[in-house]
Amino acid sequence: MEALDYLDLLIKALLLAGVYAAMAVGMTVVYGVMKIVNLAHAGFLMLGAYFALEMFQRFHIDPILGAVLALPAFFLFGMLVHWVLVRWLPKSETPTLASLLLMFGFWLVLQNAAYLIWGNEDQSILTPMTLSSVQIGQLSIAKIKLVVFAAAVGCMIVLQIVFHRSWFGRSMRALIQNPYAAKIVGVDDQRTARLTFGLGTAFAGFAGALLGMLYSFSPDFGRPFLLRSFVIIVLGGLESVSGVALGAVVLAILETFSTAIPLPVYWHGWNYYYLPPSYQQVVPFALLVVVLVIMPKGLAGLFNRKWKAA
Amino acid sequence: MKLPSTVGGWLKIILPWALFAFLLLLPAAHPSDNAIRLLFITAVWTTTSLGWNLLGGMAGQVSFGFAVFFGLGAYTTALLMHAGHSPYFGFVGGAAIAMLASFLIGLPTFRLRGPYFVIATIGVTEAVRVIMNNIDITGGASGYRIIEDKPFNALEHYYTAIVAVALAVAISTIIANSKFGLALRAIKQDDVAAADLGVNPYTSKLWVHAIAAGLTGLAGGIYARRAAFFYPGDVFAFQTGISILLMPVIGGIGTVWGPVLGGVVFGVVEEQISVNFPNLHLMIYGSLLIVIILLEPDGLLGLLQLLVRQFRGKREDPGSPDADQVLWGRGRTQER
Repeated sequence: MEALDYLDLLIKALLLAGVYAAMAVGMTVVYGVMKIVNLAHAGFLMLGAYFALEMFQRFHIDPILGAVLALPAFFLFGMLVHWVLVRWLPKSETPTLASLLLMFGFWLVLQNAAYLIWGNEDQSILTPMTLSSVQIGQLSIAKIKLVVFAAAVGCMIVLQIVFHRSWFGRSMRALIQNPYAAKIVGVDDQRTARLTFGLGTAFAGFAGALLGMLYSFSPDFGRPFLLRSFVIIVLGGLESVSGVALGAVVLAILETFSTAIPLPVYWHGWNYYYLPPSYQQVVPFALLVVVLVIMPKGLAGLFNRKWKAA
Repeated sequence: MKLPSTVGGWLKIILPWALFAFLLLLPAAHPSDNAIRLLFITAVWTTTSLGWNLLGGMAGQVSFGFAVFFGLGAYTTALLMHAGHSPYFGFVGGAAIAMLASFLIGLPTFRLRGPYFVIATIGVTEAVRVIMNNIDITGGASGYRIIEDKPFNALEHYYTAIVAVALAVAISTIIANSKFGLALRAIKQDDVAAADLGVNPYTSKLWVHAIAAGLTGLAGGIYARRAAFFYPGDVFAFQTGISILLMPVIGGIGTVWGPVLGGVVFGVVEEQISVNFPNLHLMIYGSLLIVIILLEPDGLLGLLQLLVRQFRGKREDPGSPDADQVLWGRGRTQER
């Protein structure tokens, strides 16, 4: 492979990382504030993709605008879900059996409701942008990927501002750091939890709509991305929003390059083999195991340890 | 052993044996082939349900990955039979390989507190299915076929499955009444406190995971021998893992007979619903899961006990603090 090809892959990986970060960040805030592993995240991602599709087909709204519209729609939906189901769960500092099974049951309901409504055939969102590309020198980059990346990064920046500049963002961070101290200084934990769940759902719907523009989807669309979200938030140290961006970049690069870099294998002498493309799906999981064994606190934990030692 | 003093106490001992004897003698009454097939598949599912319950119900570790053990049991049995071994040797081999796999998953993940184990189990299912879809010696995605040079004997399959489920009930009962079972319950409620009392949560979880995996692998082998043809998208499917988890939760988590009840209900309902409404049945299970978690965490068995108490006119509900604590977990009572 030429150097140019590697550069092309690197750009693709970084563009993908933007969407991955938007996809995983909702899960991180929900885990951080409520200590719930939100398995229904996969269902919200899938619904987001169908939301953009319906907006596009029925009202001829551009999918990018559809993705942005998904933010308020899914925010309200998430608050409703919290109000009806999630708030009855007991508070706990580790994920409980009840929370896991409840969110899992809700995912099953969402997924199969989607089967009933849209059937099980693969859908895709095709706009004039889908097949066109931008030429920069010898590189050609799909326009849709650039636009999706820009939307994802834009939203992450807005989230970062909300997180650091608003009362709600400060409440969230306080609850993540220490729920008792947060309550003592007057943070309304129920209200913050409801808003956080809404925010997490909003980002899931938004990221789902973006992913729906890049890949074809069916009601089972969310599952592989649920696993990727897990890997990203474990890499990022479970509760840190900036860790998510780092985790997304690492996962996207490893996934993209896994089939492009020859691996040395000793079998009657040294040979180099490429990983068959069908095994690419195993990469996120392999990464998860490596992270769990080597650095259970995630990449951020590794850095923190270094800094503390220094 | 202390003899029970009440009629109910005697019934608790006699009924399981009576049920076992009934199931063993049933073929003498010449039931229909379909009834035997239904009982066979229900027994296989119930074995996996009891296996899952040891880990999820007693030790409180939710796993979405039991399809891995089921599938490994199926493939190991098939490969051993293909190599000319007896199917019964194949079942044992399947259970052993499943136990080995359980250590590979448990060793890195049980060391950590938090949601790591759950996350890993979802990942393992996905990864193993992708790998099995691409391995040549087992036929990859197109599946594997078991060829026996013996006429098909439905009753032999039936008896194997019944013995397997009896074994699972026996193991569950022994563990539930042993010191090991007590340790598992302690871990479920609070693993830090359990460690303070001299229980090693790490090794206890590893061992109960292995026992649960062994039972599931055994069930997978028994299923595979009768099915004679299976493929990764079937035995290693995420849906298989879901089914194995749903049964004990529906029936009543953390008890011995809850998972049996759940397995029986699941086996029968699955037969009726999934044929007529292929997409609706998971939606029903999902709704059922939500309702059970929010309203009756003890499952159908808890509901039955409630009805019995109402029938007897006892108003006060002693409840089962154990099951409540399992599901609701440790409160936010301690400083982080």
